[in-house]
Amino acid sequence: MNSVSDLGSIVSRSLHDTLALSLPLFRPELCLAVTVVLLLLCRMLPVLKMLDSAWVALGGAAFALFYAWSDLRGLPGWLGGDALASRQEIFTGLLVFDSLTAYIRLLLMAFLVLYIPFTKVSGIPDREDGADFYTLVLGATLGMCLMASANHLLMVFMAVEMASVPSYALAGLLKGRRASSEAAIKYAVYGAGASGIMLYGMSLLAGLLGSCHLPTMARQLAGLAGAIPAGNLGGVEMVLVLGGLMLAVGLAFKLSAVPFHFWCPDVFEGAAAEVGGFLSVASKTAAVALLLRIAFGLGMPVAVLPGADSSSALAGQAAALQGALLGDARHFMVATIGLMAALTCTLGNLAAYGQNNMKRLLAYSTIAHAGYLLMGVAAAVALSGSHPASARTAVSAVAFYLATYLFMNLGAFAIVAFLRNALRSEEIASYAGLIRTSPGIVVATGVVLVSLIGLPPLAGFWSKFLIFSALVEAISLSAERPLMLVLLVVGGLNTVFSLYYYLRVLKVMTFDPLPADRPGEALSLVSFPGAIVTALAVPVVMLGIFWSGLYACAQLAGAFAS
Amino acid sequence: MDLESLLPMLLGLAWLTPLASFVAILFFGPRMGPHGRNAAWVATAAIATSFVLSLAAFVFWLAHHPVQAVDHGGHGSSHAAAASANPFRTVALADADAHADEHGNATHAGHSPTAYSGDWYTLYQGGRLKLSIGWYIDALTVLMFVMITFIATCIHIYASGYMHDELHDVTDHEVHLADGHHLHRPGRFCRFFQALSLFCFSMLGIVIAGNLAMVFIFWELVGICSWFLIGFYFERQSASTAANKAFIVNRIGDFGMLIGLMALWGALGTLHFADHSVQGEQQPGLFSLVRPAATGHALQVPDGMVAFAAADDVGRIARAHSDDPAAGVHEVAGKIDGWRNLGVGQWLLFVAGIGIFCGCVGKSAQFPLFVWLPDAMEGPTPVSALVHSATMVAAGVYLVGRFYPVLTPDVLLVIAYVGAITLFISATIALVANDIKRVLAYSTVSQLGYMMLALGVGGWLAGLFHLVTHAFFKSLLFLCSGSVIHACHTNDMRKMGGLAKVMPWTAGTMLVGCLAIIGAGIPFVIGTSGYYSKDSILAQALSFSQANPAHSILYWAVAGGALLTAFYMFRLWFMTFAGSPRDHHIAEHAHESPQVMVAPLIALAVMAVVAGWTLPGGFGIANLLEQARPAGTDVGGAGYFFSTLRIPAEHESHVGAIHITATMTAFLTAAAGVLLAALMYVWKLISPGMVAAMFRPLYTLLSNRWYFDEIYHALFVSPVLAVASLASNTDRGVIDRFIDGVAWAARQVAGIDAWIDRTIVDGLVNATANATWNTGLELKKLQTGHLRQYVMFIVMGTVALFVLASLLLRNSFAG
Repeated sequence: MNSVSDLGSIVSRSLHDTLALSLPLFRPELCLAVTVVLLLLCRMLPVLKMLDSAWVALGGAAFALFYAWSDLRGLPGWLGGDALASRQEIFTGLLVFDSLTAYIRLLLMAFLVLYIPFTKVSGIPDREDGADFYTLVLGATLGMCLMASANHLLMVFMAVEMASVPSYALAGLLKGRRASSEAAIKYAVYGAGASGIMLYGMSLLAGLLGSCHLPTMARQLAGLAGAIPAGNLGGVEMVLVLGGLMLAVGLAFKLSAVPFHFWCPDVFEGAAAEVGGFLSVASKTAAVALLLRIAFGLGMPVAVLPGADSSSALAGQAAALQGALLGDARHFMVATIGLMAALTCTLGNLAAYGQNNMKRLLAYSTIAHAGYLLMGVAAAVALSGSHPASARTAVSAVAFYLATYLFMNLGAFAIVAFLRNALRSEEIASYAGLIRTSPGIVVATGVVLVSLIGLPPLAGFWSKFLIFSALVEAISLSAERPLMLVLLVVGGLNTVFSLYYYLRVLKVMTFDPLPADRPGEALSLVSFPGAIVTALAVPVVMLGIFWSGLYACAQLAGAFAS
Repeated sequence: MDLESLLPMLLGLAWLTPLASFVAILFFGPRMGPHGRNAAWVATAAIATSFVLSLAAFVFWLAHHPVQAVDHGGHGSSHAAAASANPFRTVALADADAHADEHGNATHAGHSPTAYSGDWYTLYQGGRLKLSIGWYIDALTVLMFVMITFIATCIHIYASGYMHDELHDVTDHEVHLADGHHLHRPGRFCRFFQALSLFCFSMLGIVIAGNLAMVFIFWELVGICSWFLIGFYFERQSASTAANKAFIVNRIGDFGMLIGLMALWGALGTLHFADHSVQGEQQPGLFSLVRPAATGHALQVPDGMVAFAAADDVGRIARAHSDDPAAGVHEVAGKIDGWRNLGVGQWLLFVAGIGIFCGCVGKSAQFPLFVWLPDAMEGPTPVSALVHSATMVAAGVYLVGRFYPVLTPDVLLVIAYVGAITLFISATIALVANDIKRVLAYSTVSQLGYMMLALGVGGWLAGLFHLVTHAFFKSLLFLCSGSVIHACHTNDMRKMGGLAKVMPWTAGTMLVGCLAIIGAGIPFVIGTSGYYSKDSILAQALSFSQANPAHSILYWAVAGGALLTAFYMFRLWFMTFAGSPRDHHIAEHAHESPQVMVAPLIALAVMAVVAGWTLPGGFGIANLLEQARPAGTDVGGAGYFFSTLRIPAEHESHVGAIHITATMTAFLTAAAGVLLAALMYVWKLISPGMVAAMFRPLYTLLSNRWYFDEIYHALFVSPVLAVASLASNTDRGVIDRFIDGVAWAARQVAGIDAWIDRTIVDGLVNATANATWNTGLELKKLQTGHLRQYVMFIVMGTVALFVLASLLLRNSFAG
């Protein structure tokens, strides 16, 4: 009888948890899921076949965007309240809803709302593939949302796979094109390898710490570090490091961080530019969010845990104590992330030098930007132990970077896609003298690329500025001074390196003579493609001038790192 | 919609329409039709719209304030009666809270003219001080709007024919280039109409302005427009010099105007004409400060000026009451009247009045700043007609009229004398001028002198009445002269003659203009517009000289001026149109101007005749103006510094004795002048050459324009140029040489630096760049494209990371 009532209470508790607490905070994901179902239904029912799947997808994305926006607005920190209290674990702790979740979800939904019209106008996918394509895109985005809110290793793996598997299919979207199929196969095999290693790492960690729930794992880790005096850890330490590194491999694969970036140039070159834009922007955003989740989840125990003592002062004290004990874990993470950041940034920028294909160049540019983002994450983790406020600022810098990166990089890929439609080529050399026929597009390209370099007064400047200022703060405040100094120097040098290959594209577009036999016609800003490009390039300029509003949102996101 | 919100809207639109045209032509002018031909239509349509709007405002005004039909001495009206019959109401429509104050303010004691005022836009507001773009609308404003827009419309139409040459490339035969060729340049049709539109906007801005600051803004805008227009043929040395001269001479006058503005602002803290609200609080304007209703609008030095002038005493009182400022304020307030009776502050009011008048001297080309106007005839003739006869130069007279309540009798006396000197000097110069436009230019200066004199001797109505009538007939005369120049391609009257046969319309309309300017008419029955306005000036001057026998020379100046005017105007007409052609080549090629030019002539000729008439029922410009007569100016005044001075009230000049004498004087002098001109140039009974020889020194003096240009050149221009060349020599010889030396030294150092930069720094940079580039290419090779290797790399990467981590982290974990 006792067990029956226990079962009953468990059922009613979990029902309450799901329906009353979790689902209201899960509305954007629900929207996406419903849209995916609708899209599939449309394929089956002859009446609904008439419906263009792009509009269905756009409608679903718009609803999701609305909910994501209202979630962000509903945060207690909106308009200057205390954002720290917004953390809430949902679905019995599998996911977590906080300001970072809300912010990243808003970015992803905004991305979708921009991305769907772009693909619709650029003509890939064609009408036939539309339903498949958007199903895959929405499904992958759903996975990315889960990545941003994962609070449990199980969820981490599920989310990564949910984001990756549709991406493999997307890479092979250009059916019958050898390069596309090759890209898909490479991506899938490489991804499978990375996932396998990640899963192995997870099992090691879970086995050692006895839980998959990240905050619980953090507490266990702290307990482990506190119970056994230093030096006596022996094999346990080795296994922990190995597990952590293997987990990092999976994340590095999603981030295309060196040395797990090899798939990236080949996949980008082989797949359509539209798919490249999706992988470069959305996937990157989610991967950075997931990295933040795991780094902070394992490195900084949260003050209030479900089921823990409700006296928050006590809990806070306990968290602070555990936080101090996790110093070594954080040091390990900072070293790993920082090392990868420096390598990724440098390799990405240098390897972009000799590229002749615009998509390949952008692939390396994507790798390089992952490096900058990793620098911000490294600074945030380095600061989190001793200076929480500065750590929040560093996370805000990363969040701000992601938002501006959305416009800059999607803009670049959109331009590549539209120029491919007009010129039937993606080689940089084919852009020669474009300024004479399509000055508007060249100006937009200039805006986007110069912003990617990070020159004022464009949005990219503020992103880099904020990341570098976070590094400077980490140099002066944190214990990781040497590594942070190295990162700052590497970041500065790389910004200079990147000047060359971005400006080379502009040089070809403006200075090189117009080939006499230019196929295709000029691309005007006053057209549907032009409108898409404008809609992506104008925010780059506007956010360069009026950046404070976005930064306020980014600060809200940064508040999750309490 | 009631009048007080309707009028600002109508006139405001009428004011802004030319601005819209300016902006449109500025941006799209060259694209308006072939060679920008349609720019003329845009500008003309804009000003015509303004005219229609002004006319609507005029009609609404008349509907609400019917012009009184009253008995009038000679012409059938008595101004005293008209003034007392005026409905009085001053409405201060200011910003938002206007209507609350309206009725409280409407119950002034004494007679105030009907006026509406308010602000559209506040530029700056701090404390009591308020700078704004606002309006002050009374009968004078409405009348000026109609007059300006009507004449401007005529001139726009005329100019669209006259400026035809500018539609194509122009070869300017008056500009000789260094290689001996004539200047060949693109036409500037658009630019002409663009400037004309801006000019109309500026001029209307002066007229509608509700405060002196706004007047000043548009005053300067008019100045810059005249610079554009006079210098329209700027490649010609003479034109660009004339433009600069007009601009600089006007700045001299404006300097005085600034002093006046500062005096008013510093002492009174406001530049608004009418009462207005500042931050919801009602503040008195200049008019009611100087002529408060409490004193029955009699002129008195405002409290602010008294306190400002007695600053020492005020300071002493303030120090004595430093513990209780309120008591100090109270004591000062109690002493103000005492100080005022002692004459404290009189000089400040005098300075303010003279200062504002200085601006008017410049703009209205009064002695001693009249030298710019004759030179300004270098501009195209429509410009002369618009800018230098009817509008821009009228601005000065208008401002004196608008500012009239603030001018003390002492200032008025100065104004009267300046006007008298101006009218006499310029009339004498006009006697001997041979350039048709210059004769008209000097006659303009002379007529402006008339107006100033009339205002100065107390004839507020007479002066402004003449301003309006003169605008019509002078623009007519200018357009006629333009028509003649268009036909003859010369300005020299000595080469004309006998043109009446080939250009009957021009000759006829110009005769009308000449008759109007000399004030021709059948005494006591009917006459041209000039007949009425000039009569009232003569009558007022006579009334003044009877009241002040010491200043009776002012009357003789007016009478003598009338004689001279009649002579030189008919000399002009006879030389141009009568007799037989002097230059047959010119006469043969002469032709009547196209209809687009003749039509405005006829319209203006009609106005030149009828503008002065008072219709049965009392409607007429004179009676309309009477509605706007400033409060308190319908009674005379006495001078303070000139203690014997007494300004007679204007209605005193309507008593029979004065009026009849004046009318007869006007008639006889005009008749004598015409007769003399006919004797010399038609019947040739007196040879002009012989007269010139007889009075050789006088003739030389006059034909050299009293040597004003030379005197100014010697007194002002040469010293300035000398100082300038001294400064420039110092600059070149001393400062530049030093700087050159420094620069040379810097160059040497830079040369060394450059060598270091090229060999060492650049070498390093290039080496680095090469290294980077090669590294990039090497890294590229890592990307083999083989999937097998990639998967290998995953494992290798993990192992490598693990090795690295265990090496790096050995210390932290393993102690």
